[in-house]
Amino acid sequence: MKITALRLFNVKRFAGRGVAIEDIGDGVNVLCAANEFGKSTSFEALHALFFQAHTGQPKDVKRLQPYSGGNPVVEADIQTEKGRYRLAKQFIGGRRATVTDLGSGRLVAQADEAENFIAGLTRGGTAGPSGLLWVRQGITGIEDRDKREEEDERRVRASLLESVQGEVEAVTGGRRMAEVSARCAEELGRLVTATGRPKVGGPYDTALAEQRRLAAEDARLTADVAALRKDLDDRAGAARHLKDLDDPAERDARRAALEKAQAALDAAKVHGEALRSAQAELAHARGRRDATRRELDTFRGALAKASLLAVQVATAEQARDAALVRHRAAMDEIARADAETQIAETEEKQARDLLARLDAALKAKDHAERLAALATKLETVEALRMELEGAEAALASLAVPAKTVDRLQDLEIEIAGLAALETARQPKLGIVYEPGAIARVTLDGQVLDDGEERGFADSARLDIPGIGMMTLRTSRPAGDNDALRKAKAERDGLLAGLGAENLPEVRRREADAQRATVEIERLRAGIKALAPQGLPALREEMARLAAAGPLPLEVKGDPDSARQGVEQAAERVAAARLALREAQPTRGVAENALRGAETSLASLQGERAQVEASLGPLNERAGREQALADEARLADEHAAEAEVRTARLRDAAPDLASAEAAVRRLRSAEESAARQIADLRERIAGLDGTIRARADEAVEEQLQETREALDAANRRVAAFAAEVALLDRLQSTLHAARSAARDLYLKPVMQELRPLLALLFDDLSITFDEKTLLPHRITRGGAEEDVERLSGGTREQLSILTRLAFARLLARDGRPAPVILDDALVYSDDDRIEKMFDALHRQSADQQIIVFSCRQRAFARLGGRALSMIDWKPED
Amino acid sequence: MFRFLHSSDLHLGKRFGNLAEDLRGRLREARHGSIERLAARARENGADVVLLAGDTFDTETPTPDIRRQAIAEMSRHAPLRWVILPGNHDSLQAAPLWAALRAGLPENVILATEAQPLTLAPGVALLPAPCTTRRPGRDLSEWMDTAATPDDTIRIGLAHGPVQSFSEETLASDILAPDRARRAGLDYLALGDWHGAVAIDARTRYSGTPEPDRFKHDEPGRALVVSIESPRAEPVVTAVETGLFAWKTTTLDLLPTDDCEAALAAILPPAHLRRHALLRIAASGRAGIAGRTALVAAIADAAPDYALLELDETGLSTECDATDLDRIDRSGALRDAAETLLAQAGDESRAEVDREVARGALVRLFSYCATASS
Repeated sequence: MKITALRLFNVKRFAGRGVAIEDIGDGVNVLCAANEFGKSTSFEALHALFFQAHTGQPKDVKRLQPYSGGNPVVEADIQTEKGRYRLAKQFIGGRRATVTDLGSGRLVAQADEAENFIAGLTRGGTAGPSGLLWVRQGITGIEDRDKREEEDERRVRASLLESVQGEVEAVTGGRRMAEVSARCAEELGRLVTATGRPKVGGPYDTALAEQRRLAAEDARLTADVAALRKDLDDRAGAARHLKDLDDPAERDARRAALEKAQAALDAAKVHGEALRSAQAELAHARGRRDATRRELDTFRGALAKASLLAVQVATAEQARDAALVRHRAAMDEIARADAETQIAETEEKQARDLLARLDAALKAKDHAERLAALATKLETVEALRMELEGAEAALASLAVPAKTVDRLQDLEIEIAGLAALETARQPKLGIVYEPGAIARVTLDGQVLDDGEERGFADSARLDIPGIGMMTLRTSRPAGDNDALRKAKAERDGLLAGLGAENLPEVRRREADAQRATVEIERLRAGIKALAPQGLPALREEMARLAAAGPLPLEVKGDPDSARQGVEQAAERVAAARLALREAQPTRGVAENALRGAETSLASLQGERAQVEASLGPLNERAGREQALADEARLADEHAAEAEVRTARLRDAAPDLASAEAAVRRLRSAEESAARQIADLRERIAGLDGTIRARADEAVEEQLQETREALDAANRRVAAFAAEVALLDRLQSTLHAARSAARDLYLKPVMQELRPLLALLFDDLSITFDEKTLLPHRITRGGAEEDVERLSGGTREQLSILTRLAFARLLARDGRPAPVILDDALVYSDDDRIEKMFDALHRQSADQQIIVFSCRQRAFARLGGRALSMIDWKPED
Repeated sequence: MFRFLHSSDLHLGKRFGNLAEDLRGRLREARHGSIERLAARARENGADVVLLAGDTFDTETPTPDIRRQAIAEMSRHAPLRWVILPGNHDSLQAAPLWAALRAGLPENVILATEAQPLTLAPGVALLPAPCTTRRPGRDLSEWMDTAATPDDTIRIGLAHGPVQSFSEETLASDILAPDRARRAGLDYLALGDWHGAVAIDARTRYSGTPEPDRFKHDEPGRALVVSIESPRAEPVVTAVETGLFAWKTTTLDLLPTDDCEAALAAILPPAHLRRHALLRIAASGRAGIAGRTALVAAIADAAPDYALLELDETGLSTECDATDLDRIDRSGALRDAAETLLAQAGDESRAEVDREVARGALVRLFSYCATASS
């Protein structure tokens, strides 16, 4: 079908007028006009003509009516393979629909028949699928559209595909397939998630959980049962062991063995004791043997020594006798010298006595003389002393201390000075008498001479004869002459102290004292010369001499001859003593020799006495020696016997250590058996407890039960796994089959679409929705996207291309249909629009395409036949 | 003439952890109940002693309630006597258990814990071979060869363990000599350990458990009534039923053309037996997707009747034909998917696990499509 002309009257803005678009040709036809030019109105009118029943008054029809009212009239000329027709409809008022054969001018159909004719063109109808493929402004073919229109279009597509490829349902399995797939998916979904994992809470998951639980339980119980079995085995083992240990025969055997070992040990101990005593005996015998031997040897040694000593003693005695002789000779010599010395000494003594007596007599005489001289001297001294004492007494009364004298001297001078000063200071009185005046004035009773000036102290009384008495008083302060008074008082005091009248008297006394002193000195010097030690010493000497004075002796003889006699005697004594001294060393040597001989002899004799004593009486010695020898032999024999006995015992001694070890071992075995018996009983009791506890828990039954349950669970899990595999397989198979069917079904349109897509897009493939038979997913660069999510431009391009593809398919099928695009490329950019133009032109070779657009400039490049609107009015 | 009941492997206290909670309780209770049923069988058959050849208790340490309630139950049936032999599960190693049992033991319960002759009746000697440990590592019955008994005595051996390596818990060295009865001059050797009844020879038998506890043996719980006329006379042995719960595996061999539901219905037991039945349907052969889906649905539908009903599909392979695919879709994507899965399932180059997944997915797709509303 092709549209060759479109006319409309009283439609929307064309109130009371009409426009016509004539000469619509093959290929691309473009009605490019500004907005509000009537372009869309034309489109809507054309749409209404094909899709709105003339009898109806739906909204779309109402919309066609101008505001001013009136009845919209639309007509179109079409060309089909059957001929050229004019389709006309009037809506709202005077409703009509007509189809006129333009060739014959014959009215082919009207009213409902005309509608059927039109429907046949657009919806297939009896003449098979045909019609128009619309793409409206901003419509991408995917948004909501008028249901009916959309459905019509879908049906066009479906019918087209069916005609090409057969019944849709027949191909894809349709609802049945959907139902089966849904059921499969539901059952699979009950068991597993989309990713094939067991669904949580689902039966498969539950079975797996149960399996896991049972496996864990199984492991636990297996361990428990193993423990139980082990306990049972242990218990049996322990019981067996206990029985063995506790067996009376065994017990007796243990005890007998112990007793035997004990006996052996006791025997060994007894033997040990015997050996020890034998050893003691042996030691004793040996000791005795050694002692007797020693005694015998000693005795024999003593015997030998005794004879040796006898010889030695004899020799020593001879030596001693010789020494004695020598000693005696020496002694005699000395005695003689001694006697001589004594004689000499006696003589010397006599001589000395005589001399001494002579001396004493001489001394007594001297003494008496000295005593007499001393007495004389004492008398002199006494006299001198008497004189001295008298002089000293005189001096004491005369003596004036030099200092006092000097002080008195000073005081006298000071007083004189002070008195002079006093006088000088006194008020002075003087009188000059008239010549001739006889009367004389007296001052204080003393006549004042003419011209005489006289001073006075505090007051003065002037007696003026004939006149009266005049008293003068000074106002001088009292005591002004203290110093003088003090000096006088001191002088007077000092003088009084000396008992002198005045200084010259003192001076005299001083001179007298001087002379007395000289006299005293003289006396003292006399005494000193006579008694330098003083008088007491002299007296003492006197007394001493008087007391110690020897009696006066009367000895006859001459001291000098006496002295000579003494000297001669002394010489004789010295000679005698020299002789004696010479004899002395001889005596010492002789004494030493004698002492040595005596000592040696004594020592030998002592030794001999000792040996002799040890040997005993001489007559018993041989017997004693024999007895000792016998005794030694006997001791030897005894020792040898003891030796043999000890050796025998030692050789036969049982091993005490091993006997003890055996006893120890057996005893410990016995104890260990007892302990083991106790332990085993305890252990059995313990095991009984745990076994009973486990038996009460029925672990073995539980284990068996759990194992069987686990087995069942395993089977169940396996069954679920098999079920999942089965459903999975079914699902994938169904999916694959459906996909394959759909691909097969949509193959023709895909074939048409592919080159068109290639014009606009690189590497873009499309999946069609089975229901709408429009693209619903695209795959670009390996990624799949929903068409709904694509940009508006892409969507409208896809929409147009898809329709072009369908149109092309229709044309191929021998049923060409126009494609009407009403501002269908609003979202596309210029570049894409140009590509779309290429697509349109490529298509337009055998395809009518009518484009309404307001994009004049963009569409200027589209080329094709430009359509224009002309005024038109229905013929009526 | 001496008559006794031979049983073993009561496994009192066994828990059945792999089963539903309430069923576990019932099964445990049934094990305890086997004591009473054994007593009843003994009375009915004139036996005055029950020989329990080991594993009376499931563990070496049964809980006091299990132990005491068992003994109390045995005591209730006096003068019927019970001889309890330690087995590998409740060996003598568990000394506390045996000590506890020995304490306060009623007169009619005998513990065969010593390997020495026990006089059961005048002229009847029991030679027990108690398990000393879980794995004794030797033939415990060997002593019977030299065990002296008076002449003209009926010698009955009592032992627990395998006679060959078909045991429940095998260890070569623990194996009992299979000809122990002959070697030891036993009139009868009562064995325990194997949970199914097995006759080794005329004088040597495993009684099996009185109350089965697993699918393995696929036979009802039984005990053996043994009558021995005189020394060296061949014993007369009769099996008596003692089980409460029936553990059964039933095979269901299918062809793609079979009506699976009908085939299942044909093998299910009558309704009144179902409560005490633990039934495993071992499906084998081949089934179409539809048939298989229907079988699973039918099992799920029938399960509440039973103590346990389960389907073992491991032996069943799925066959998929054009009709099955058409029921998914005749063309289009669903059909494509189905064909993809079918191709995967049949792709020999893929791992079996992977193919199994594809098969499962296909079956699932089928079931979804079958219930899809459109």
